[in-house]
Amino acid sequence: MIFIDDISSDNIYNILSSKAVHRACRKEGMYMRFTIEHLVKHFEKKEVLRDIDFTFESGKIYGLLGRNGAGKTTLFNCLNKDMKADGGNFYLEEGGQKRETVPDDIGYVLSAPTVPEFLTGREFLKFFIDIHEDKIEESKNLDAYFDYMSIAPEDRDKLLKDYSHGMKNKMQMLVNIIAKPNLLLLDEPLTSLDVVVAEEMKQILRSLKENRIIIVSTHIMDLALDLCDEIVLLNHGVLDKVDKTDMDSHEFKEKILAVLRDERPID
Amino acid sequence: MNKTFKIAYSLKNTYRVNTILYSLKQVPVLKRLFPQELYRDPDYKIFANIMSGIWEFIKAFLGKFLYFLIMIALAAGFCKTVPERQTFLHIFVILTLIGAPTNTYIFNPTKDKYYALILLKMDAREYALSMYVYEMLKILTGYLIFGMIFGKMSGLTIWQCLLLPFAAAGMKLAVVAWSLRKYERTGYAVSENQIGVRGWILIALSLAAAYGIPAAAVLGIPVIGNCVLPETVSAAILVCGILGGIVSFRKIWTFTEFREVYQQILTQHMHQVEEARRSVKRQSEKVIQIEEGAGSSRKGFEYLNELFIRRHQKILWKSSKRIAFISLCIMCAGILGIFLFPEIKGKVNHLVLTNLPYFVFIMYCINRGTGFTNVLFMNCDHSLLTYSFYKRPECILKLFWIRLREIMKVNLLPAFVIGAGLAALLYLSGGTEDPLNYVMLLISVLCMSAFFSMHYLTIYYLLQPYNAGTEIKSGTYRIVVIATYLFCYGFMQLRMSTFVFGLGTIIFCVVYCAAACVLVYRLAPRTFRLRA
Repeated sequence: MIFIDDISSDNIYNILSSKAVHRACRKEGMYMRFTIEHLVKHFEKKEVLRDIDFTFESGKIYGLLGRNGAGKTTLFNCLNKDMKADGGNFYLEEGGQKRETVPDDIGYVLSAPTVPEFLTGREFLKFFIDIHEDKIEESKNLDAYFDYMSIAPEDRDKLLKDYSHGMKNKMQMLVNIIAKPNLLLLDEPLTSLDVVVAEEMKQILRSLKENRIIIVSTHIMDLALDLCDEIVLLNHGVLDKVDKTDMDSHEFKEKILAVLRDERPID
Repeated sequence: MNKTFKIAYSLKNTYRVNTILYSLKQVPVLKRLFPQELYRDPDYKIFANIMSGIWEFIKAFLGKFLYFLIMIALAAGFCKTVPERQTFLHIFVILTLIGAPTNTYIFNPTKDKYYALILLKMDAREYALSMYVYEMLKILTGYLIFGMIFGKMSGLTIWQCLLLPFAAAGMKLAVVAWSLRKYERTGYAVSENQIGVRGWILIALSLAAAYGIPAAAVLGIPVIGNCVLPETVSAAILVCGILGGIVSFRKIWTFTEFREVYQQILTQHMHQVEEARRSVKRQSEKVIQIEEGAGSSRKGFEYLNELFIRRHQKILWKSSKRIAFISLCIMCAGILGIFLFPEIKGKVNHLVLTNLPYFVFIMYCINRGTGFTNVLFMNCDHSLLTYSFYKRPECILKLFWIRLREIMKVNLLPAFVIGAGLAALLYLSGGTEDPLNYVMLLISVLCMSAFFSMHYLTIYYLLQPYNAGTEIKSGTYRIVVIATYLFCYGFMQLRMSTFVFGLGTIIFCVVYCAAACVLVYRLAPRTFRLRA
């Protein structure tokens, strides 16, 4: 059994050995950027995303904060190409080379976990690894992956329909990180998890941020402040970074609230 | 009370107006014509209000017109052995007795009541009474007009006609007053939809009495036929209904616990709706079967497919085998009939050689395509479509072919039984000069089966109608499904030689399948997505 606290980035590399990992490690220390340029999305006349123009950097967890209906899920759906944007573009930049994102670049974890309920946890994992076998060089024992996610041995051969909410969430997270996507989008990932699973997930996310960009959407400010390296606000269809320089936690919170309430601009 | 009625009616009307606008917005092509501010635009509101008014009028009058025409007057007209007006009153009395407890209005847990009483916390007594008076007035007016017209046409006297609306309203009032008294005694309120097994048996027996007794009189079965209620008895029951209504009115008017009654009825109803939703979810999970050691040696999508088919064996193959077995029994019965009654050979031979178009509708009815795609979505695609690897074009197309192969296999079993059975019937009923007819029968039925399999899977991939909440959100999908039904139904009217029709079917199926393949290849990677 491998405990989450024991996992260093070296251990993760051993467990999640894939071509993507190799590529990432070859470029260790290499700077990766994900840039969104003038992204626009409207539903009929309502402009949900007005002009998203932002650059995310690797090695960081970004907390995407916004009020209800601000367009956080719409932004993720556009980036994951589930929804066609009405304008703008986005691309990855590695070693000065720009390229369009492909499905394998993106892992998207939804708040309500969706897993194929007619499969057991082990079968789902095997299916996923089969599909990605050309990308995973040294496929590890399936149990190693389950150990990594703290899924108990007795649960691994149960149908996913009989999994608890937290366990389904772990399975969803596992298959999303197993191929080591460059960009990991998490929509309200910890909202309905119990405190133990939520803490485990936070540890996993922190351990995964090396060499990739993680964007976590949430409306729980404390979670964003605790987990994320940068806070980005989605307000009036525009994305802005909130600068924390020379501020304590309380001041920083007040500043975010004031911006979201439209009391002051981001400076 | 006037003010309460105005607010309640306006709320009900707003709900209906918005429902009309929402429905129009779901119609493909039409939806593009509507602006985003649809619900605010006064012109569209006026239009929807007119539609709502027409709907209210239709509900108040057209329904009652059809009720009197079809359920009473026409049915009474068939019975020539008993005076028509006696049968008219017999049917009216029994139907009114059934309608009084099952159509009370006041105990009907509708959404507008939920909004008014639970969400907006309106005065329950004023709401109940004002809306009830309005509904009773609609009943009195409708029954008075159509009772008079159809009653006179059936030979009722003017007094008998006048009894009809007041008796119908009176019986409803009596039942409501009785239910309210029961609530005061027991503390339990029961919605009119909770009929129960005994209630349904009673309704079935009453309907049998309403129509079965006059039918027995027509068929010359006097023991039953003589039981048509005499006019005086019917009139007496109607008068009792009116008196019951008068006595009951006071109880309803002075009843003060409408809030408690509605609280119970509407909460129960919301639980039932929620329970029904959960039961659909449970049902889709229940069809998943797991056996010990039932693994798979395959890989990737073949692995996924094999486990899916194996875990859904009951829902996919069981019904297919059952249909094949029933088809086999029908074919055997046909063959046995030919041997036992050789005189029908000519008719059977003619039927098989000219009625192949009928089988388009039959194959449509027995096809498991919609069931298959429904289970595919609920138990598989609903979850996997949220993963990016599953939406890669090559993965979508690979899985499409695997699934097409599976659904065709499921549907081919009954199709083969029907096709081979028809060829056997043709041979045994005298055969045909052109042996190609045998081949044509078998191949065209198999082609029809392949067509429906392809059709349902193609529209599922091209229109993917479900959203993440497993609701059908595509108006186009609904229209295509209805159009498919009408298209197949239309073939029942067609008479054509088996050879010509069979050849046409085979060509059509091949062309359709080729076109569908091209469309899926080109469009499915873009269209096979979860709906927002």
